[in-house]
Amino acid sequence: MSAWSFYIGTLLIYFAVDALSAISLNLQFGYAGVVNFGYIVFQAAGAYAAAVVVLGKSAGPGSFQQYVFGAHLPFPLDLVVATLAGALLSLAVGLFSLRRMRRDYQAAMLLIVSLIALQVVSADVPLFNGANGLTGVGWPLGQIFGLSAPASPWVYAAWAVGITIVVYVGVVWLSRSPWGRSLRAMRDHEDAASAMGLNITALRLQVFVIGGAIAGLSGGLLVEYIGAWSPGAWGYAETFVVFTAIFVGGVGNYKGVLLGTLLVPIIFLELPRFLPSIGYPGLTDSLQWVAIGLAWMLCLLFRPRGIIPERRARARRLAATVLEPSPIKEGA
Amino acid sequence: MSGQLIASIADGVVLAAILAVAAMGFTLQFSLTNVLNLSFGSVMTVGAFVAYLIAVVHLTPWLGIALGGVAGAVTTVVLGRGVLRLYARRRTQLFEMMMVTLGLSLIIDYTVQAISHNNIYGYSVLQGSALEMGPIRVTPVQVGIVILALVVLLATWGALKFTRMGKALRATAVEPGLARACGIPTGRVVLVTWVASGFLCGLAGVVFVISTQSVDYTTGEGFLPLVIAAAILGGVGNLWGAVGASLVMGIVTEVVAGLGQGGYSTVAGFAILVVVLLLRPGAVFGGSEDRQLVL
Repeated sequence: MSAWSFYIGTLLIYFAVDALSAISLNLQFGYAGVVNFGYIVFQAAGAYAAAVVVLGKSAGPGSFQQYVFGAHLPFPLDLVVATLAGALLSLAVGLFSLRRMRRDYQAAMLLIVSLIALQVVSADVPLFNGANGLTGVGWPLGQIFGLSAPASPWVYAAWAVGITIVVYVGVVWLSRSPWGRSLRAMRDHEDAASAMGLNITALRLQVFVIGGAIAGLSGGLLVEYIGAWSPGAWGYAETFVVFTAIFVGGVGNYKGVLLGTLLVPIIFLELPRFLPSIGYPGLTDSLQWVAIGLAWMLCLLFRPRGIIPERRARARRLAATVLEPSPIKEGA
Repeated sequence: MSGQLIASIADGVVLAAILAVAAMGFTLQFSLTNVLNLSFGSVMTVGAFVAYLIAVVHLTPWLGIALGGVAGAVTTVVLGRGVLRLYARRRTQLFEMMMVTLGLSLIIDYTVQAISHNNIYGYSVLQGSALEMGPIRVTPVQVGIVILALVVLLATWGALKFTRMGKALRATAVEPGLARACGIPTGRVVLVTWVASGFLCGLAGVVFVISTQSVDYTTGEGFLPLVIAAAILGGVGNLWGAVGASLVMGIVTEVVAGLGQGGYSTVAGFAILVVVLLLRPGAVFGGSEDRQLVL
């Protein structure tokens, strides 16, 4: 297998994982208006959960790596556990952070959760081996057929893309359902939605947990391919790569979000590999993050709705023609 | 056991002093401009690195403390006047403005990472031999930090209470439109707020790294959760509240760390905010989203 084939296969897997993240964050942010600045924590939860149920019993303190629980669960329990870990953690976080409060406070709280979680996992070595992280994670499904993930990236890519397609279809279906419409109602006018009888807090919590479950799944998929997971992989800034992808592609539009995923985490972050390296090792990485920050700021300044913006619902156009001239001023 | 507890509480007071300086700066700018400034931690890092550079060229650490504060003030003014105003002119709302400050934070953090080669630098200045008073061990610099915080508190409180600018600032924070109509130059008030809060921010960054004796690009970001929690718990714009909340959080954080759970110390501080929020949501999270940006 050539290096190129391996590289393209790996990129495809990253695309699938990033697309899962972007889909889930778009459901939360684009549709429900929940600003999850701690998204990466839920992906990390899934990754750690999948790792400890694949790695087997921990040898305990003093050994090469130590962690809690530890088991050899067969497929598909590994991914189920990852998904559940993401969902349960988001339920726990959502219960205190999703109460009705100013949106900027809410977003700041989730950012704080992200910063603190990183400190805790880095410092508490018995939990997930601290800052060194876990390594040697395998791929339970592949082992059934005698395959290992790094040796056959194309098989793994097909598996990851397949899961992504299923999730994509499911989330799009959810977004178009009456439940999805009530999410948008909540996003656009919380008080009005509440007056119509929607339970705002419950809706927020539902979308938060569903998003968290997808995040956990994506973390599990990622860790079974790369085989290792440590606090270096989920700094608070990682969340903003996904957010930038959504901003670039189109907030509230799933096709746009896929385009954004292709543009930002894949093409933009991989491009520097092909440029001559500058400065000391690591400089390019730092500059990439600066560039992500700049892209984020420019999106907010010029194209807050993205390249492919959300389509306005058809019913509104119909209502506008029927009611014209509209006696109701929007936002009044 | 009780000796350990008393020692932890003493450490907590020192941490609270650092936290109070930062929280006062944060609450000052938040109450006036209504921007939830998430780049506050990054500006702290900038102040800390400036102080480190002063130490590298062997100038007196006191100059480092002063210039760290100045660097914080300059950075904050540039961000507030230059960048945030640009967005305000495009009718960016309260919430989007917070996202803008987050982008700024990302840019500053990783620029510092690029310049600092992603290394952790030791920074030991002004450390003297510890004084022992029963179970309490304090270094002179820790005493100095507490005194500094008290001076900053009294100076800020006095300036807000007794000067014309302080009165103008309080008026603008409560009702910007009315203040402007009464002839208060709100633009200048905002500028003064950026300068003062930025100075406190940079200062807090410097005393934080004096206390931890090391600096890297995540320094301020790691401290930010406690700062925001203290400022919000104390009631936005409430100077004494910010100091009281800092005291509570500082002590709780250090007591938990003293029990051998260093990794969970920040969690404990943040948990206080969460508990208060669950019990008395109105007391902490007052204020509606209708408030306007004042830039």
